[in-house]
Amino acid sequence: MTSRGGNSIQVSRRSMLKGAGLGVAAAASGPLMYQACKSDGLNKTGAYDIYVMDDNWVPEFAAGRIVQSLDKLGLKANPDILSKGLDQGYWPPKAGARLKAFANDTPELFALVIIDDCNLLYYDKRQFSSPPKTWDDIYSAMKAKAKPPKLYGWSARGVKGNPVVQTYLPLLNSYGGNFCNDDWSPGFAGPEGVGALERLMSFLPYMSPSTPEFDTDQETALLLQGKCMALTEYTGTAVTEIDNPADSKVVSQIDITNCPSQVKPGPAIGTFICGISSGTKNAEGAVKFLEWFTSSRIQLQFAQEGGSAAVTKSALTDPKAVAKYRWLPAIAQSVQSSTPKPRTPDEPRFEDILGTQLNIALVDALQQKRNYTQIAQKSLNTAKTQMAAVLQQHKNIYF
Amino acid sequence: MTGRSRYLRWAAIAVAVLFCVFPFIWMLSVSLKRQVDIFAGPTLVPQHPTLGNYSSLFTQYHMGSYLLNSVIVVGVSVLASLVIGTPAAYALARFRLPWGLNDHALFAALVVRMVPPILLVVPFYIILARLGLLDSRLGLIMIYTGINTSFVIWMMQSFLAEIPSDIEDAALVDGDSRMSALRRIILPVASSGLATTAIFAVIATYNDFLIALTMTSTPKAQTVPVGISTLIGKIQVEWGPMAAGGIVGALPILIFAFIVQRHFVRGMTLGAVK
Amino acid sequence: MATATAPARASGPGRPPDRGRRNRLDRALPYLLLLPAAVVLGLVSLYPIWAGAHASLTTYLYGRPIAGAGLQNYTDTWHDPVFWQAMWVTLKFVVLAVVIETVLGLALAMLVARDMRGARFIRLSILAPMTVAPVVVGVIWRLIYESQTGFVNPLFSSLGLGAPNVLSHQGSAFYGLVFVDVWEWTPLLFLVCLAGLQSMPQEPLEAAAVDGAKPVRLFFNHTLPLLLPVLAVGVVLRLIDAVGTFDQIFVLTGGGPGTATQLISIYAYNTAFNFTDYGHGAAMLIALLAFALLLVIVALTLMRGAARRVSR
Repeated sequence: MTSRGGNSIQVSRRSMLKGAGLGVAAAASGPLMYQACKSDGLNKTGAYDIYVMDDNWVPEFAAGRIVQSLDKLGLKANPDILSKGLDQGYWPPKAGARLKAFANDTPELFALVIIDDCNLLYYDKRQFSSPPKTWDDIYSAMKAKAKPPKLYGWSARGVKGNPVVQTYLPLLNSYGGNFCNDDWSPGFAGPEGVGALERLMSFLPYMSPSTPEFDTDQETALLLQGKCMALTEYTGTAVTEIDNPADSKVVSQIDITNCPSQVKPGPAIGTFICGISSGTKNAEGAVKFLEWFTSSRIQLQFAQEGGSAAVTKSALTDPKAVAKYRWLPAIAQSVQSSTPKPRTPDEPRFEDILGTQLNIALVDALQQKRNYTQIAQKSLNTAKTQMAAVLQQHKNIYF
Repeated sequence: MTGRSRYLRWAAIAVAVLFCVFPFIWMLSVSLKRQVDIFAGPTLVPQHPTLGNYSSLFTQYHMGSYLLNSVIVVGVSVLASLVIGTPAAYALARFRLPWGLNDHALFAALVVRMVPPILLVVPFYIILARLGLLDSRLGLIMIYTGINTSFVIWMMQSFLAEIPSDIEDAALVDGDSRMSALRRIILPVASSGLATTAIFAVIATYNDFLIALTMTSTPKAQTVPVGISTLIGKIQVEWGPMAAGGIVGALPILIFAFIVQRHFVRGMTLGAVK
Repeated sequence: MATATAPARASGPGRPPDRGRRNRLDRALPYLLLLPAAVVLGLVSLYPIWAGAHASLTTYLYGRPIAGAGLQNYTDTWHDPVFWQAMWVTLKFVVLAVVIETVLGLALAMLVARDMRGARFIRLSILAPMTVAPVVVGVIWRLIYESQTGFVNPLFSSLGLGAPNVLSHQGSAFYGLVFVDVWEWTPLLFLVCLAGLQSMPQEPLEAAAVDGAKPVRLFFNHTLPLLLPVLAVGVVLRLIDAVGTFDQIFVLTGGGPGTATQLISIYAYNTAFNFTDYGHGAAMLIALLAFALLLVIVALTLMRGAARRVSR
């Protein structure tokens, strides 16, 4: 089994695995892990039985048969698993745009979700009289109460590429835009996408001026020091940091709820998801393991012991677990109202394109302090053109 | 020289030295702070100094493995490249080969040195993948040996060419063969050149990042520079351990350079004044 | 390697010593000595360069070669605006950094040239930045530039200037990167110039000084021309390495903000390894190699021209 190191969710899993007699090989970071799994799968060397994958590897690994069809191996997915989390493991995807070669295929399960990582809204409950439900709620609260630099209204990841896209997606989704429309055309350069970006820019006067260089740690540091009213982030921050006195000055002061909505709810979902390698010599054992790992009993254990983002409904709504870890119901809500990212191996490239332009837009908006519509439209148009060029380049895959 | 210009000169030198050294001091300072202190505000002297970052480097972040890998990979590849490259350098220094082969060979060695490593990385990756040597110390050793060999040839050729051939000729007349003359006479005299070459090769190989980054993926084979980069994770940047990692990465080389300083400077001198 | 010992044979009465066997061995020896190195170099350099060229002529899809591409990858790269943007950033960076490093390195060498107290310590301190791994250099400057934990922001604030947030703006990130490169590599030019200055014949300088020449003229008419050949070596080395700068950028900015610090090396790395498009990645890198060669030729021509003009 390969697993990502450094994340304490993974660490707790790993000690369980060791207890179950399984070895875990850990790579120290995402891109390196990705290379290792990919070359193992492509060459069918069988060095690993199970890959713990990042959500956006699924299209490539499934389409390239780097992982095997779990349906064909006879795996029975636990019906207690939240459906939208489970859907992430299907190829071709059940909803959304499909690659041409798979346009008419029946979706099969290729990977089984083990952690339902999704966007949540973290907010400092001392600053809000009730949980904010829409982006307008957030904005009016920060207008009334934010006093930068002592108290910022919002914090976000601004680094170009994947980080800033994670900041933008909850907004884009909730405004009714799409990363990719069902025919693969970019869906963020229209009025919904521009509106979403404008909204983010309207927060800028209440945000740190060094936002363009922020990644997760700097973004959350503001919240953890009590200097920020709210932000959206994935589940890791909740599970490992907000109530940890070594990291946080606001223990028990941060509440979590579903991402704000505009015309609809907007969280993006990015699971940790397991595939069985195509070169494994122990497929049966791997299937049994995955079924056991995602069984309601084991998932309940994860929820009760660490508050981690379990994948079953029963675990996330269990009264004992929820009493200890208040974010679990929010995770369940968020997953079921989430929007997946485009299911294509080019997704990292698209994120890089959009993320570069978003970063530029933020820098420009911070500098000019006005003309938000213009700046937003310009950068989204550039991203759209560049993305369309990539789609053209690979047109026989897409159209 | 006037007193004032002397004073200015010393002041300028002092500024230069401070400028070069201060960033290291800063990194040392951060490496001794706790995470919460790092965000509290920049102070030079840590208010609550801790060695926790260093201990977590070894317990949580596999620094022990990285160091071991670096030592093994650097040691073996530099040694191998010296063994392969020195005789070749000797041949180029001593023998006049036909068709201007001397110049062609030296030029080839120079070209290899010139190619930006980023260009070689993709083919290396594909080759190692086919040989099943990705994420292995052996794979790294093979690549580093190759790169260092060209460097060894280039440097040793100029050192050896400096040694007058009279010494050798005397030995040959006395009945020695070329090989034993090489062994008994030349090598001791060229030892200083060997040392200098080895030093540069060690530093360059230890510091390499790109090749190790792309050819390895786990602490099984990763070297110190790659290990340091893993601390710059995306979810949680651990600033304290990252600084400690930087110190651990820099310290061996700095100590090494201090000890062999004489050879280091002389080698640069020789290499430059060719 | 063949090890042969051919002890001198006593010659027979009136016959010349038998050197035939040893002569043949002598002739073969250099090639035998060169052989292992040639094999190694062939494998490690020539073959990868060929493989890289081959990859650049292949279409890769998600990491797998699927078809020959002819020159398509090169055509795509030629039409890729992001590629040209990266080329421009690379050119700006290399020229700016190397020029500054050369001027500063020369100035520093002239300051330190004479023997003085503490020379060893001074030299080692100045050499430190270029001795440590470029990755570590990236870490060091990340710790300095970072807006919340570094000391650049507080330093500027305490001087009454605004906090620059170096990594948050395109302009400051780019110049900040140039600054890092200057910090790291001026020591190299310093060493090279020092070596050149220390091995220069002093008499012409002294003679000219006695004749009443002013220091500035002394420098330009005498010192600089003699120094130029040595300087050229350092500059060329630096140009080649600067074109491939990767480690520090990877750690400091990842190519951002926007594309302000996205040199070809970063863009090609992302293309080849993050987008698994080896074909286009290889094509870009071959283009980069050509670019490096071009820079070297231009630099050498300029320096030779300057040398000729000054010595007239």
